Amino acid sequence: MKILVCIKQVPDMESKFKVAASGTWYDTADLAWRMNEYDEYAVEQAVQLKEQVGDADLTVLCIGGEQVKETMKKALAMGCDRGVHIADDKSAEKEPYQIAGIIAEFARDKGFDLIFTGMQSQDRGSAQVGVLVAELLAIPSISTIVQFTFAGGRIETKRELEGGVKAIVRTSTPALVTCQLGLNTPRYPTLPNIMKAKKKELVSLPVTDLLKVEARQETAKLFFPEKKGGGLVLEGDVGPLADRLIQILKEKTGVLA
Amino acid sequence: MHFEHTEEQRLIRDMVRSFAEKEVAPSAAERDEEERFDRQLMFDRLAELGLTGIVFPEEYGGAGAEYISYAIAVEELSRVCASTGVTLSAHLSLGANPIYLYGTEDQKQIFLAPLARGEKMGAFGLTEPMAGSDAGGTKTTAVPDGGDWIVNGSKVFITNAGEADTYIVFARTDREAEKHHGISAFIIEKGTPGFTFGKKEKKMGIRSSPTMELVFENCRVPAANLLGGEGNGFKVAMKTLDGGRIGVAAQALGIAQGALDAALAYARERMQFGSPICRFQGVQFQLADMATQIEAARLMVYQAAWRASNGMSYSQYSAMAKLMASETAMRVTTQAVQVFGGYGYTRDFPVERMMRDAKITEIYEGTSEIQRLVIGSALTR
Amino acid sequence: MKILLVAEYRDGKLLGSVNELIAFAGKMGAESAMFLVGSDSALPAYAGTLYLADAAACGEFNPDVHKQLLLDVVAREQPEMIVFSHSSYGWDLAPRIACALKAAQVSEVVDVEGDALIVPVCNAKLRRTVKPKTGQTVVTLQAGAFGLADAPVGSPTVEKVAAAGTGKLEFGGYEAAEQGGVDLTKAEVIVSAGRGIGKPENVAMIAALAKALKGEYGASRPVVDSGWVEHKRQVGTTGQSVAPKLYLACGISGAIQHLAGMKKSEFIVAINTDKDAPIGDVADVLVVADLKQFVPMLTEKIQAL
Repeated sequence: MKILVCIKQVPDMESKFKVAASGTWYDTADLAWRMNEYDEYAVEQAVQLKEQVGDADLTVLCIGGEQVKETMKKALAMGCDRGVHIADDKSAEKEPYQIAGIIAEFARDKGFDLIFTGMQSQDRGSAQVGVLVAELLAIPSISTIVQFTFAGGRIETKRELEGGVKAIVRTSTPALVTCQLGLNTPRYPTLPNIMKAKKKELVSLPVTDLLKVEARQETAKLFFPEKKGGGLVLEGDVGPLADRLIQILKEKTGVLA
Repeated sequence: MHFEHTEEQRLIRDMVRSFAEKEVAPSAAERDEEERFDRQLMFDRLAELGLTGIVFPEEYGGAGAEYISYAIAVEELSRVCASTGVTLSAHLSLGANPIYLYGTEDQKQIFLAPLARGEKMGAFGLTEPMAGSDAGGTKTTAVPDGGDWIVNGSKVFITNAGEADTYIVFARTDREAEKHHGISAFIIEKGTPGFTFGKKEKKMGIRSSPTMELVFENCRVPAANLLGGEGNGFKVAMKTLDGGRIGVAAQALGIAQGALDAALAYARERMQFGSPICRFQGVQFQLADMATQIEAARLMVYQAAWRASNGMSYSQYSAMAKLMASETAMRVTTQAVQVFGGYGYTRDFPVERMMRDAKITEIYEGTSEIQRLVIGSALTR
Repeated sequence: MKILLVAEYRDGKLLGSVNELIAFAGKMGAESAMFLVGSDSALPAYAGTLYLADAAACGEFNPDVHKQLLLDVVAREQPEMIVFSHSSYGWDLAPRIACALKAAQVSEVVDVEGDALIVPVCNAKLRRTVKPKTGQTVVTLQAGAFGLADAPVGSPTVEKVAAAGTGKLEFGGYEAAEQGGVDLTKAEVIVSAGRGIGKPENVAMIAALAKALKGEYGASRPVVDSGWVEHKRQVGTTGQSVAPKLYLACGISGAIQHLAGMKKSEFIVAINTDKDAPIGDVADVLVVADLKQFVPMLTEKIQAL
């Protein structure tokens, strides 16, 4: 069985962000980088699948500059067999369709039985790449999974819907799934496995070989939202107060939808 | 010369930090309050992560990494829980390392490998009621008897005691010899008849780490458990402590960093006179001093660890690192409590615990005064 | 401008997020039509053309079939924009449509600015202005970003659509939300009780409001220390740190230990008799009221929605 897991390196979300000089992305200097949280679930599930079927080869793919190799090493230490680094210093500027195009171009004709991705990245958060890759490869995809089982060429998943409800969805391989938080408990890369990861294959491919599509959108500006002003103070009789609050909750939050 | 961690060291820090924050930190205050050691969390989990034998070669069950990785692991654990930090440091530096340094091949296979794999936990018994900094004053005795040794005496303030399975114990084997020369080291296992535990100490800090007395009453120890040869105990102890100081220094560094992180987060949030207190120069100066001292200590700790890994002499460097880091930890945690004000003095915030935990780093594995002696005598030799 | 709104239907019910799609169309000042795989027994209040496919016939969750149905409607209507909710349905179907239409997709739109769309970046710490470069654009809207002051009125002109074929995914039904184990860190709505609730009997009132909002109830430290609420529900430095979509603080003054555990919540409502309580500094809305009267009233009105 051939398995592919796609990961992204993102800044620690607790970082103090600054807008870069370009004005269209955040300044990447002095940030702590880590594996996109959703992708950790994808890597864990891919490794569990490999352990389940035994005879499997698990490739981890990551697009970015030289520095993303460190995050790839973590995936290798977690149990991936080999790494494919798509070297691109400008990956942050690429929109989801281009990223999906690059991955699909790589994966086409490689015969992957299963492809795992995170459901979205923590920085761009478009929640598109996984599903787009599957569409481009013309294979079925199931997004936002919180449970995954594999048996005899069939996968059964549970998709997370709003309000804690889950939908059971099944399909046959080859297929792609996008992983949601809570799918599993990602393992820590143990120290001996960190040492062993150094010896695993990690090849770099230039992005120019794989980028065949044009951008369909562009970022005009990146900015900080206005700070919360003083809160709204409501006073009066409880009946109208409750109506007013319900109105505000409908307008400002999704919880009454 | 370069100051960058290797990729491997960054991965190790990342892994230990996320384990520490997600799994060790949540119960740190409670374990401190209840003076409770959680073996599963504070040792067995470390073994699963491959941390219990970081620096030992793979053939002895270790991970074959170097001392900087070890220092990083202890630092990151101590950043959230100093008790977990010292559990690892006492096990690895004091319990396991003397066997690696002085053990025979058989002793390494029998005793070191299970320690490195974390199947067994190690501890180190040197200090006695009447012999603290003065190790030469050891009163515990070991007398030969039909090929075995009969050990009598007691050891106090032993970290990991009661929980550990394998103890390195120092005893006087020659009453006639000059005080430093008549001491020998023994590997004594928990459960050996005549080896019991005395009272459990009620401590100011590192309260989730057990500290107990070891009691030996006609305890029969096989000759094969003599470590490093008869009469070499003092040398075994001193060399072990050189390495141990890297562990304590890393622990102190972690405590200090934890306190700075907490103080910084609080200073950004705490509003007084209409602005976060981190905007006040008085607070900024305090934070600046804390951060600067920590950075200086960090460089010294990593330098000592780097020397240890590269086969260079490091006794003086580990003493300097331990002195610097432990005094930094005490100062920084005290300042952190000050930044928190009244809240810092309560157990609702972790800096109170960190200040109590910091104090021991100025005392154990050689007090600050002993470190100055070591450094001073090296300078004036 | 013409836009096509994609409404959602689940488990026999039309989802309320349809009103946000209508609000968005209003804000854009655009002509709109709507697409729904649902049922004619659960129609939206919407004054326009509704292309309705029967969920019983083509499945509530069947992306391949929904994609084909929607593409057919797009071909008929030729909208410049196809709008989904950024929901489990929307973020699943939108990329399939965008890919087929060779259109840009802009996800989780929170605002519009001329022909540009604004989306959050890095957990909403930053915002990004995006310009699509394609003639047609697919967008998904962040839940709650486009609210309606008044409920929409009208009834749609229904145009039935149907699809042939099945999909590659097999839908095996729904599984209800898990009951039992409390994990505040995963709750989307938390209603917390503070010392202001007065007595342990009033915890039930807080729990009832939490239930009406499909959330969990929590408590501040004094309430937990008094033994009125179990420790695992405590929010604050010695309890849980939470960041739900909505945090309702009832009778909580806002001690720093508590604020540290909840101020990252997306929307904070405080109910307190003291207008100057520090909780007001982090709250988006401060309701000055006696919670013993206000909370039951609010609960009743929410249940009646």
